[in-house]
Amino acid sequence: MRKVAVVGAGMTKFMRRAQETGKELAWETAKLALDSCELTVKDVDCVVMGTAPDAFDMVHMKHEYLSDGAGAWRKPYVRGVLGGGTGVFTACQAWYHVASGMFDVCLAVTEEKMSSCLPHPQGAFVTCWDQFTESPLGTSLLWFFAWEMNRYMTSHGITEREIALVSVKNKKNALHHPCAQLPGEITVDDVMKSEIMAWPVKRLDVSPTSDGAAVLVFASEEVAKRITDRPVWVQGVGWCLDTMYIGQRDLYYPKYVEYAARMAYDMAGIKDPRREIDIAEPYDPFSYKELHHGEGLLLCDKGEAVRLLVDGETQKTGRQPWCPSGGALGVGNAIAATGVMKVAELFWQLRGEAGERQVPGRPRRGVAQAWGDEMQVGTVVVLGV
Amino acid sequence: MPLDKVTQIGQTKPLHGEIPVYAQYTFGIAGERFFREIKDKGRIMGTKCSKCDLVYVPARIYCEQCFGELTEWLEIPGRGALHSFTISHVDLDGNRLKEPIVVGLVKFDGVYGGVVHRIGGVEPGQVSIGMPVEIVLKPKTRRTGSILDIDCFRPVK
Repeated sequence: MRKVAVVGAGMTKFMRRAQETGKELAWETAKLALDSCELTVKDVDCVVMGTAPDAFDMVHMKHEYLSDGAGAWRKPYVRGVLGGGTGVFTACQAWYHVASGMFDVCLAVTEEKMSSCLPHPQGAFVTCWDQFTESPLGTSLLWFFAWEMNRYMTSHGITEREIALVSVKNKKNALHHPCAQLPGEITVDDVMKSEIMAWPVKRLDVSPTSDGAAVLVFASEEVAKRITDRPVWVQGVGWCLDTMYIGQRDLYYPKYVEYAARMAYDMAGIKDPRREIDIAEPYDPFSYKELHHGEGLLLCDKGEAVRLLVDGETQKTGRQPWCPSGGALGVGNAIAATGVMKVAELFWQLRGEAGERQVPGRPRRGVAQAWGDEMQVGTVVVLGV
Repeated sequence: MPLDKVTQIGQTKPLHGEIPVYAQYTFGIAGERFFREIKDKGRIMGTKCSKCDLVYVPARIYCEQCFGELTEWLEIPGRGALHSFTISHVDLDGNRLKEPIVVGLVKFDGVYGGVVHRIGGVEPGQVSIGMPVEIVLKPKTRRTGSILDIDCFRPVK
């Protein structure tokens, strides 16, 4: 397969409610990404779209509605959906469109407009579960997270206070992200005192719902070398789905993330991800998820992620920064767009363009990951220079 | 383009709407029997894949691992253990509940799967992972053939 590079990136400010429609957000961001690498929509050979539940935009088959804003007019166009895992998977999709040799330039567009559902997007999520055994109970997304967090804490003897440090770290990192929705200087006590949603999950353990878009431009080696002297290469991609039934999984460990990571690492020739990866963007829609996913990404032993956190190793200035962007907790969680925001963060960090967020030591390789669907999909991308 | 645009979002004109769908879905081959067993006989049934040595709950007509057809049904004891739980303080719309509810995932010995349900008959502070729990059914006359025919799971006394 051909080498593929990321050559451009753009995103909107994530916010609680944007005036723009989904397709306007997509258009604005696609323009930003194309401008960043001095390409126009005429240079784009195909478009991949990533966006999660249709109900958010009040229209079924919303990829059709979004298509013109995504630059898909008279072009090959496809949407991939893996729930919360969609964003990083959109990057995987863009990779194989170009790696296959069929297209030279692929625009990867992700958009989410979550503010429309009233009173809360939970109303859309409740129709995502098994309609016979789960939805009739009024099953909330929060329950799934709370069960997993509780199981994870109990299995390893981790405390709520330790997990709260993830929110503290990521919201602080987000202070330097120009697109961040909820950056801030908070303390562990702030997290502990925030209202209990579904114990052990508290308000400040949770990322906000957001409106936003994020776009990447993928190019073949030949095009990449022509248009930029700083291409960032896609070194590995991976994705994996576990059983749809929550009762058939042990919630303490995301095995499907491990499988997706192994797929991506094998492709990238990575033998020891703890040493060979400089920065990581594990998906952090809830505080404990950064730790849970860091373990699934094989960046430490099971149950050890909290030790890295407490010891400062995953801080911006630590040995292996996790979520230098500020993550979903700090930047915001416009579901599919958050996955691409994480890949875009690797792109900016690896090019040394992350401004005040720039991690020290010239990082050369990073991994981004997202997770979702019925809480059992892992999607992984490894970028390097 | 500037990052901050409209700041008075409340002044923009909203389109109100909904996606109205009323559905009448089938329970399927496995679901028809699984829910009739709960309604009529008050028992949880699973299906067994002898090849993979897995017992599926909720019951299914195929094995997701070997893809074989499952025809062997067996009764699952109404006692299991709490795999995990949460004490929920909010409803689906984000409103605070008057009284928090406990909901959990119950797994059964030797079973591939489990049941998500309310945990009742216990103070929230007394619930713990691994706790043995048993099924509490609604009275037969109030059962309709739904997962809600199970009232809750409660700690084994």
